[in-house]
Amino acid sequence: MSAAYVSVPAVEVVGLVKNYGKVEALRGIDLNVGGGEMFALLGPNGAGKTTLFSILSTLRTPTAGTARVLGRDVVTERDATRRDIGIVFQEPAIERSLTVRDNLRLMGRLYGLDAKGVRQRTGELLEQLQLTEAADRPAQNLSGGQRRRVELARALVTDPRVLFLDEATLGLDVEARRGFWKQVRALTHTGRTVVFATHYMEEAEVADRIALMSEGKIVALDTPRNLKSRMGGGIIRLHTADDAQAREWLVQRGYQPAPGVQPIMLEQKDPAAVVPVLLRELPVAVERVEVHAPSLEDVFVKITGRGLVDETPKAPAGRGAWGGRP
Amino acid sequence: MRGIGAIIALDMKRFAQDRVRLITGLIQPLLYLFVLGSGLGSSMNIRPVGAALAGAAGASTAGDYRSFIFPGVISLALLFAATFASITIVFDRQIGFFKAVLVSPVSRPAIAVGKVVSGALQALAQGFLLLCFLPFMKIHPGWDGALLAIPAMILAALTFSAMGVAIASRFTSTTVFPIMTNALILPMFFLSGAMYPLQPAPGWMKTLAHLDPVAYAVDLIRGALLGREHMFFSSPWLCITVLVIFIAVLTWSAMRVFVRGEELDLTGPTQFSWRR
Repeated sequence: MSAAYVSVPAVEVVGLVKNYGKVEALRGIDLNVGGGEMFALLGPNGAGKTTLFSILSTLRTPTAGTARVLGRDVVTERDATRRDIGIVFQEPAIERSLTVRDNLRLMGRLYGLDAKGVRQRTGELLEQLQLTEAADRPAQNLSGGQRRRVELARALVTDPRVLFLDEATLGLDVEARRGFWKQVRALTHTGRTVVFATHYMEEAEVADRIALMSEGKIVALDTPRNLKSRMGGGIIRLHTADDAQAREWLVQRGYQPAPGVQPIMLEQKDPAAVVPVLLRELPVAVERVEVHAPSLEDVFVKITGRGLVDETPKAPAGRGAWGGRP
Repeated sequence: MRGIGAIIALDMKRFAQDRVRLITGLIQPLLYLFVLGSGLGSSMNIRPVGAALAGAAGASTAGDYRSFIFPGVISLALLFAATFASITIVFDRQIGFFKAVLVSPVSRPAIAVGKVVSGALQALAQGFLLLCFLPFMKIHPGWDGALLAIPAMILAALTFSAMGVAIASRFTSTTVFPIMTNALILPMFFLSGAMYPLQPAPGWMKTLAHLDPVAYAVDLIRGALLGREHMFFSSPWLCITVLVIFIAVLTWSAMRVFVRGEELDLTGPTQFSWRR
């Protein structure tokens, strides 16, 4: 590993803007990801994570601003960028009717590996990702977790130095997700940079640094620990019979409930001392009280006034592609 | 080159698994040939085919008409199979392996060429199956005629595939299939003289046929199987030249889509909910 490799940021984004017609998907993103870093983009659907990945992976061009991967401009040095990156998309990008092995071999050939190289690399990946047993089954006969591992293997065929994962665990159960992340963490040990998008805060916790994204902007960027330390002490959540009245009373008493957040959220240095007071003095009936250490979601809610998970669930991946469009 | 090979290999593997498509793709051409061909043929006056070859004059029959449209029906099969193959691009780049192809360093022109060739190969598989019905026709082109039909079919398949890729790749939505079939494929097929001789047709149809690549393809295959005297454009070399020009221009146009697609956002995922 040369000195130059270390000094060049894996991803360098300056003033990135992307508009789709009138819709502003990215409204000026600035971002630096260091070599070997595990970096998370955390935000709800529609925050612009996928758009950012499409630009970084050369599928779309920015409206304004620049993006570099390993020091190379993703627009003007597209082919070089393509050789350096691997990406797992939110939607499947493997051929369902083909076997796992065939999928990986074809991918290797697309990247110009010779027959021997393809065989060798495929074998390695199948073993590394525990897919050897499933290797000769058509991808459509695999479990959801296995299929995502095949996607990961596909992205890794060329041993890319930078790996992008766009909601790679969407739709997987907890166990499969855990297995998937175990594989990804093992990858970063070899000096690979991993940038991943998620709207599960527990997934983002494993990152070295997290960018919180909302409505096309990065609203905060720090280590998980520093982000959480922005919240003092602990979080109190109050469910009351009349939230509006309770909120009013709290404000009068000098408490600062996070504006517009349901249920009422209070950030307190010493929640244990405050809760009894609240329960005693609040003029409305308290139905439930929760006290917990600050989570990334709390940080996100505090900054944006919105939760990480949209109330309107997104259509399952791929449906739009086949389904009726106006 | 490896990139082109991989793209073709992918499509061939998929095609080999999809036997249903191969078989059902024959239904429409066979309907034209045996149902429409027999029905229309019994009320039509076609110059007896094979007469010149067999050296005997005879009365026109349903079999003559069927034999006359046989090259046209082969073209139909090639046309539909090639179009269908190209339409998969629209689905594939949204969900499917093709999306992974688009982030790979394979050059964009190579992707276009790979798609054109693989579409042509899939069409030819269909076309060669139909060619097996040759013994049931009243044509006796001999080995040389049958062998000439093969390069003619290859040229036709490449033309149709290049046309399909150049057009389908410009669509981002799945409405592409009815649009292409109704607005392009059927008009081109009907004007091509596949189902009737162009010589006695009205002048405007003849004029349009001169602009129709399908007409040249049908004519070339017909010339190989039925003999030059049944050709509308009369010269096989004219047909070959025109088809080669069509292949070159359409493939170039398909390349442009994949190269420019990056600027125009035509390729890549259209998964943004606010766009729907």
